[in-house]
Amino acid sequence: MEKIGLKVRARAKEALENREVDEVMGWKKGEFWYDVYPVFITEANEADDLIWDAFCVNNLSKYLIQKQKENKKVGVFLKGCDSLGFNQLLKDNRIDRDQVVIYGLPCVGMVDPEKVKKEGLNKGLLEIKRSKDEITFVTKEGEKKILGRQFDYDKCLACRYPNPVVYDELLDTEIAREVSEMDRFKDVEAIEKMSITERFEYWSNQFSKCIRCNACRNICPACSCEKCVFDNVNAGVSSKASVDSEEQFFHITRAYHVAGRCVDCGECTRVCPAGIPLDQLNHKIMKDINELYGKYDAGVDVSQDAPLVTYKLDDADSFTEHGKGGK
Amino acid sequence: MKKILKSQISQLWKRINQSYELFIPIEKDNKVNFSMWQEGDQVNLEILKTNSSPKNIIFPQTETYLQFEKNGKKINMESVGGKKEAYVLFGVRPCDVVSFNLLDNVFLREPVDRFYEERRNKGIVISMACSDPEETCFCSAFGIDPENAVEGVDVATWDMGDKILWMAQTEKGKMFTQSLKDLLKEATEEDEEACVQLKNNIKEKVKNLPLSNIDMKKIDKSMKDLFESSIWEDFSAQCLGCGSCTYVCPTCHCYDIQDFDGGKSGERFRCWDSCMFSDFTLMAHGNPRKTQKERFRQRFMHKLVYYPNNHGTYACVGCGRCIERCPVHIDMVKVIKKLGGEL
Amino acid sequence: MSVEAKETVMGNKNEFEPLIVAFCCNWCSYAGADLAGTSRLSYPANVKIIRVPCSCRVNANFVLRAFQRGADGVVIAGCHPGDCHYSTGNYYTRRRFSLLTNFLEYVGIEQERFKVDWISAAEGNKFATVMNDVLEKVHRLGPNRKLRDARWKR
Repeated sequence: MEKIGLKVRARAKEALENREVDEVMGWKKGEFWYDVYPVFITEANEADDLIWDAFCVNNLSKYLIQKQKENKKVGVFLKGCDSLGFNQLLKDNRIDRDQVVIYGLPCVGMVDPEKVKKEGLNKGLLEIKRSKDEITFVTKEGEKKILGRQFDYDKCLACRYPNPVVYDELLDTEIAREVSEMDRFKDVEAIEKMSITERFEYWSNQFSKCIRCNACRNICPACSCEKCVFDNVNAGVSSKASVDSEEQFFHITRAYHVAGRCVDCGECTRVCPAGIPLDQLNHKIMKDINELYGKYDAGVDVSQDAPLVTYKLDDADSFTEHGKGGK
Repeated sequence: MKKILKSQISQLWKRINQSYELFIPIEKDNKVNFSMWQEGDQVNLEILKTNSSPKNIIFPQTETYLQFEKNGKKINMESVGGKKEAYVLFGVRPCDVVSFNLLDNVFLREPVDRFYEERRNKGIVISMACSDPEETCFCSAFGIDPENAVEGVDVATWDMGDKILWMAQTEKGKMFTQSLKDLLKEATEEDEEACVQLKNNIKEKVKNLPLSNIDMKKIDKSMKDLFESSIWEDFSAQCLGCGSCTYVCPTCHCYDIQDFDGGKSGERFRCWDSCMFSDFTLMAHGNPRKTQKERFRQRFMHKLVYYPNNHGTYACVGCGRCIERCPVHIDMVKVIKKLGGEL
Repeated sequence: MSVEAKETVMGNKNEFEPLIVAFCCNWCSYAGADLAGTSRLSYPANVKIIRVPCSCRVNANFVLRAFQRGADGVVIAGCHPGDCHYSTGNYYTRRRFSLLTNFLEYVGIEQERFKVDWISAAEGNKFATVMNDVLEKVHRLGPNRKLRDARWKR
């Protein structure tokens, strides 16, 4: 990853020097070993701050909405999952492809700091380096190498698009990862097997943890409405009350609103400060769309019609006896 | 000083629970939060920072003030807020205790918030020293001693591994300790020595923390200069505008008062609000802070400038929850360092 | 269950008057309801009809809000596929609410409480049958507590 980091800096510098773009979006190292945050740079000398490591988990594509309002041509670094989000924003007409230069970064997976902490490896940790699946823990005492993907985010373990699906330049060679499509909806199947009471119990427990911070919504590349219904005081649903019914209302609406547009990047689950497995909601809808209306992967192909804005005359349904959609 | 063996600790919970509601860090689905203890709950006293701060015990996220119901042409109203049951808050870390004092400054000064006052008076706060401060801790920047009992604590405790040392600090704490006298043994001299040793260890650890170098004095510009600083633009561009930081923060205390309209009946309630939201302090003409830049600035100016101007102390206790929770890692420490000219 | 306990349960059940909210498309199902009325077919008075221009006007939020504010069952009724006044509206309804039907069941809401069906203007009979059927099933399930706002009073 370090070699690619050099490329990232060089490319950003070049692009800004040659005025190919007005601004470059990338990641910068912060205080701690896991602390990486998005930065937007306009000067070539700032390019030295940019990094590419195992913690560049943030998707930068959603920031493009704001940048386009400022009428800027922007260079942006996108991973595989980020590029799906980018495509979804394109499809939702939120950004202009011509105003963006994409530097694609194939990604082997990002490291979940929580998993490192759980193993107690965070004590005195200075840095984590990653080269393919070899993770190097750098401490004052020395280096320790661990091979494997046990520290990857769950969402990275299930990643189906390690390579960007859209880019202008690719900064690394493509990665091959084998992911079983069969396992994709295992979480959903486990919940479907529960009884109706168990299911409600399970979800109302999950939803009641919600602190109404809206992080899941704000990080989501599919949640790009100008004004969200939950921010609209006139809609009568903006209540910040921490009561069960409002939380259930919010989560069902959120998941349903991104139906057919969720790119399964897993960011909602990652950022939830309460640990609600939001992806299990999104997965259910994806699974149903695949079963009822044919396989569809949001964000992969911009020319394909999204399942909920199109129809077929002989579509199945899941509510009439002759619909044959079943559950 | 008293002590209790950890092997007997569940008896202590049971006993406290007989006369009080007991709030304690409880682990559920891999997350630890202060919640009401029930037999069989998995208590986690090792965890330093509960997922959310314990402020929701003294300042609930949602609290109903009054219920109303239409009855013909009349409206019946009933006041329902406040707290009736006495409770014990066990295992609060010193930074979180200090955050209670900061909230007191706001809610207990004239005009006193009656419901808040009632809640505070009903509670006994038992702190626990931080045996093992974490890398995201920076309470020392605000003069908090994680090894000692801080102001506002009724009973202070120290985790000695196999036992917990216990020292009452206030009258309330002494009475409470007295009521548990058959469970709490007198600590020996060895225990007291071990406690001193532990305190010294903690002090040493705190000195070596990566954030121990934070110096609030470096933020020495005038309010006007800070307000107009360019850093707000730099950081707010990346801010998502979610409320994670404000909702896990032990010192954020902004709230909104809303009505639940249920047709014939309804409720008026107070709920936490977040300056990060577009409908924060919404007025007829709109939000006075129109973009994320102003909202972002508000959060940090409030904690680092406005609150100190009003109350003489910073409204941050250095618990570091925002560092861990911010989805994009734009946190308090970065802002402090940047304002101080370090970043 | 003791006889006494059983009696109280039965007693409560007898008192239970389910509230059904039915979103009916203006062109077919609402007219179907009309026909059911003029044909003097009996369908329960507990069905509160909300007229919508097209079944695809119904937003998932409407359904959730109905449950939140006291509905024990929710029905969406529209023209048969192919008969939409706006040509294609109900094709979208079909896709959207197929997903919502499954999704609500996934989060633990009994399938019987949420029903989508096609009822034409000529099907007064079907209207009555569907409503009676939903009502009967909901009655058997008892009052809905799931999704309901605890602050809401009937």
